[in-house]
Amino acid sequence: MSRIIVITSGKGGVGKTTITANLGSAIAQRGRKIALVDADFGLRNLDLLLGLENRVVYTAIDAIAGDCRLEQALVRDKRQPGLALLPAAQSRNKEAVTPEQMEKLIGAIAESFEYVLIDCPAGIELGFRNAIAAANEAIIVTTPEVTAVRDADRAIGLLEANDIKDIKLIVNRIRPEMVQLNDMMSVEDVLEILAIPPIGIIPDDERIIIASNKGEPVVMDTNLTLPAIAFQNIARRLDGEEVPFLDLMAAHNTLFNRIRRFFRN
Amino acid sequence: MSDDSDSPISPKDTDLDELSLETEAERAPDPPKSPSPAKKEGDIALVNPRSQVRLVKHKGKLHLIFPTTQKLPVKAHWTEIWEQLKHRLNAGEQFWQPGTPIELIAADQLLDTRQLQTIAEALAKANLDLQRVKTSRRQTAVAAATAGYSVDQQTHAMAVDLQQVADSSAENWSPPMYIKSTVRSGSEVQHPGTIVVLGDTNPGSTLIAAGDILILGRLRGIAHAGSQGNYTCQILALQMEATQLRIGEAIARPPESPPEGYYPEIAYMTPSGIRLARAVNFFKTHSFVINLESWVDSFS
Repeated sequence: MSRIIVITSGKGGVGKTTITANLGSAIAQRGRKIALVDADFGLRNLDLLLGLENRVVYTAIDAIAGDCRLEQALVRDKRQPGLALLPAAQSRNKEAVTPEQMEKLIGAIAESFEYVLIDCPAGIELGFRNAIAAANEAIIVTTPEVTAVRDADRAIGLLEANDIKDIKLIVNRIRPEMVQLNDMMSVEDVLEILAIPPIGIIPDDERIIIASNKGEPVVMDTNLTLPAIAFQNIARRLDGEEVPFLDLMAAHNTLFNRIRRFFRN
Repeated sequence: MSDDSDSPISPKDTDLDELSLETEAERAPDPPKSPSPAKKEGDIALVNPRSQVRLVKHKGKLHLIFPTTQKLPVKAHWTEIWEQLKHRLNAGEQFWQPGTPIELIAADQLLDTRQLQTIAEALAKANLDLQRVKTSRRQTAVAAATAGYSVDQQTHAMAVDLQQVADSSAENWSPPMYIKSTVRSGSEVQHPGTIVVLGDTNPGSTLIAAGDILILGRLRGIAHAGSQGNYTCQILALQMEATQLRIGEAIARPPESPPEGYYPEIAYMTPSGIRLARAVNFFKTHSFVINLESWVDSFS
């Protein structure tokens, strides 16, 4: 059975779409067949991050309405065999689709792919319910900020109420130097509140912004960066491999920082 | 409310029974007491167990009671009711035998066949067998009959009466409610009795109990004990990091600076407001004085 994973967060702007794009590419690099579904109807972004904007002809709405076949709506990525994208419609809003329609659509996609990643819109309204309708697993994305953690907590509660029990956590945009100085919540702080198993910790990195603007996920870069390794590790963990977490703190636990921390306390 | 941390709010009528609401509505034409800000605070704090989905054992029978759509300031939406029901079934202790028949008191909620089906499926997963539906809405009755359940259709008055029968057991508190999971942000648990949480309560969550609140974990959300005006009620947590503590009509915020270390603490009512104490020796050193409506240190 294929794995249908929804990537959600509650709060907006924590990096759901970037993570969907990168994780999707990392899974495709491992030779898996994967479909990415942009469930953010009305605000289409995933095609931009993957650099597939100019290849979108039909959207999920067209496939649901029966205006095209599902295969026509799926955009195949030439650079990454095995990866396909079902783009969201930009012209319609979230109320245009019901959870039942989404479930049917994603069920049909799942027949020919090993993985289906669903990029959930922010919020917990109908768009959220549409995105989680077909999922059997979830990845919660949060940043080490109180607002993001609060919303993630709410989203976990809603997922549990909808019988999605397999929930993993990605802590995004960690800045080790700030954590060292006690200026940022640590991964441990976040885990203590959310109480779900982590599957990835991604450092904050400006190269992710550069990659977004180029429409080329960081994992596709030939020079592997720290965030790219983090994404590939998540893909491996999803496949069941035991991969230790990157020690982001090590490089920042210098004598200078320890002295600074000592004088602050 | 003053900015003082532990300022108590003057106690007043806390009864939010349907009956008292109605009498208040009747009294409305009278020259109204000017609504003070404190009055508003109190309104938030009051518990209306009728606004939540409840699972009640009454006279040996299990009832699933839905909130009525009237009496509520905001209509309970189907998705909300559904979410509450799921949380109630998932988190609560299963105090029933597998295959126990259950009766749904849908009151004046409008339910269609598909919704009834999903309710029955969720109940079946929790080893409960939906057999009977009581409703005051004709459409719901028709839907339930179509789905093959026995149906009791009553006029609204009868439905309310039935609810009161089920509620009367709350007069002397329902049995304690056990929650064996994390209480997450956004979930509000109301119970006409004592609430015991085996787990953490997260910031953004609310617990409202007519009795005590015992948290074997971290308390980080809001906890309201003695919500119907019982000042003997207490809040105990292994790690007290509450957003806000309420006992009866009193409200307190924890100190701004976090304590040096955490140990089990108990929140209780004193003549000057809510106080915290180490839980270990509390009952050796404190006793409740009824005419003060508060706990006093018997050694000082």
